[in-house]
Amino acid sequence: MIPVHRTAPALLALVLVGVAALVCGCLAPETAIEEVAWNLTLAGEEEEKVLTLAEVRALSPDEGYGYSVSTVGIKYGPNRYRGVLLADLIDMTGGAGEDDLIYVSAEDGYLWVFDAAQLRGEEFFTFDENLKEITAPPLRVILAYEQDGEPLAYGDGGPLRLVVITETPDVITEGSPWVKWVDRVEVKSG
Amino acid sequence: MTRPAAFLAVLILAAFAASAGCTETTPERTVLTVVPAGSLLLPLEEVEAAFEDQHPDIDVRVEGHGSIQAVRQVTDLGREIDVVAVADASLIPDMMYIPMGEGEGNYTDWYASFAENEMVIAYTDRSTGADEITAENWHHILARPDVRVGFSNPMLDACGYRALMVTALAGEHYSEPGLFGAIIGGSFDPPLTPARAEGVTAITLPERMRPADGKVAIRDGSIYLLSLLDAGGIDYAFEYRSVAEGHGLRWIDLPPEINLGSRAHADDYRKVQVTLGFQRFRSVGSERIGQPIVYAITVPENAPHPDEAHLFLDFLLDAFQKERAGWPAPMDAGPGAAMAYHATD
Repeated sequence: MIPVHRTAPALLALVLVGVAALVCGCLAPETAIEEVAWNLTLAGEEEEKVLTLAEVRALSPDEGYGYSVSTVGIKYGPNRYRGVLLADLIDMTGGAGEDDLIYVSAEDGYLWVFDAAQLRGEEFFTFDENLKEITAPPLRVILAYEQDGEPLAYGDGGPLRLVVITETPDVITEGSPWVKWVDRVEVKSG
Repeated sequence: MTRPAAFLAVLILAAFAASAGCTETTPERTVLTVVPAGSLLLPLEEVEAAFEDQHPDIDVRVEGHGSIQAVRQVTDLGREIDVVAVADASLIPDMMYIPMGEGEGNYTDWYASFAENEMVIAYTDRSTGADEITAENWHHILARPDVRVGFSNPMLDACGYRALMVTALAGEHYSEPGLFGAIIGGSFDPPLTPARAEGVTAITLPERMRPADGKVAIRDGSIYLLSLLDAGGIDYAFEYRSVAEGHGLRWIDLPPEINLGSRAHADDYRKVQVTLGFQRFRSVGSERIGQPIVYAITVPENAPHPDEAHLFLDFLLDAFQKERAGWPAPMDAGPGAAMAYHATD
């Protein structure tokens, strides 16, 4: 039998530590991952589809490193992203021709326009850590729903954000096409 | 509980709390979020340091954006920003003199214009034609097929559409109608061709600003053009004078009739307009009309620290009254030189 007079202070100290940590928010219980209600509209030239976030997640995934830089040189990343190839989504409503343009727009009113070459990961400018231009390695354009193994947070542009990915974490791409909060992808004839 | 046990418990608690970052050992500083246009970043580094020296209780956090994105942090994105400073004064009334919500006041009802800038042609010693370019012949040098020219993306950066305006105005100023095509327009497929009607020159851009040859290079922002200039990827870049000076480049001053830096020529500038290829933001239209480059600053109505924000704003206005290398120029006297504008003006 363990003597009571030795365990009581230790137990008390432990309880106090636990209470203190909870009070100051250091041991907050992990927030459960919630499925966010979010619809993605895919508008082809003749067909339109609306996918839920769960339906987007159920499509064949792709993943890679994403690292972006703002127009004034602020770097964001690198992070590991998982999502769906933008080209695969566009194929669901009939695909895009060589002269077509792809309008990717977002809840906050932001719009960016891609061409068919960019859909294939071409014609993006890439930089090294010192923001010197480098020859672009193979790039892919995805609609990401996961960042570093976690659902993409709203503050990071989630639940769906356009991300340009590479195989290595040291390639930086221009941030302007990284549309946050994507809710519509539309193909328009060029 | 024995006395040593109690002491131990307190010690553990203190150590835990400290290691978890739950106690603040230094006095708390007020964090002031300042969102300026990219071309103000260099001067704001100095303003921030000097201001914090005088006000050690305030921690200024500068977060640079393009001017429109700077305003959108407050309006479309709903962030609580203390100070907004832009490179195009018209953006504040256009985008912020609107209600924050139903029945609420505007994001702001005033701004102070505090500096001005002008467009120049930046280059280095290694640029093709560097030994012969002058303020008189610059347009002929840039029009040469072997001379590579860069500007920032007009979709993203005011300096980008201003580059197009300067080139269009140059065609009028020098009476050389083919100049725009020779320097910029001919590098696109189909070519970008200014349309002239009722005294106004209008340039309509495609959705994707993708040059079809190597003569013209477009990048997201000024810093990438400067990097390209350093690396010899382009020979000349359209830049703000303060940016060229701040980065130690050579530059050609342009005539006041076309450099967008003279309020006396505001009527001439207004004769050129650029229509962007698409409406990037639902909250801002696609038309850009030529006007003098004037910087403006405001404190949003929902700024979390309005007192400190006004303190910083006054400090900045004072700092910008002096001519400094690499800074946008102080506002001089002349037409439209009033400092503060209100919604009722």
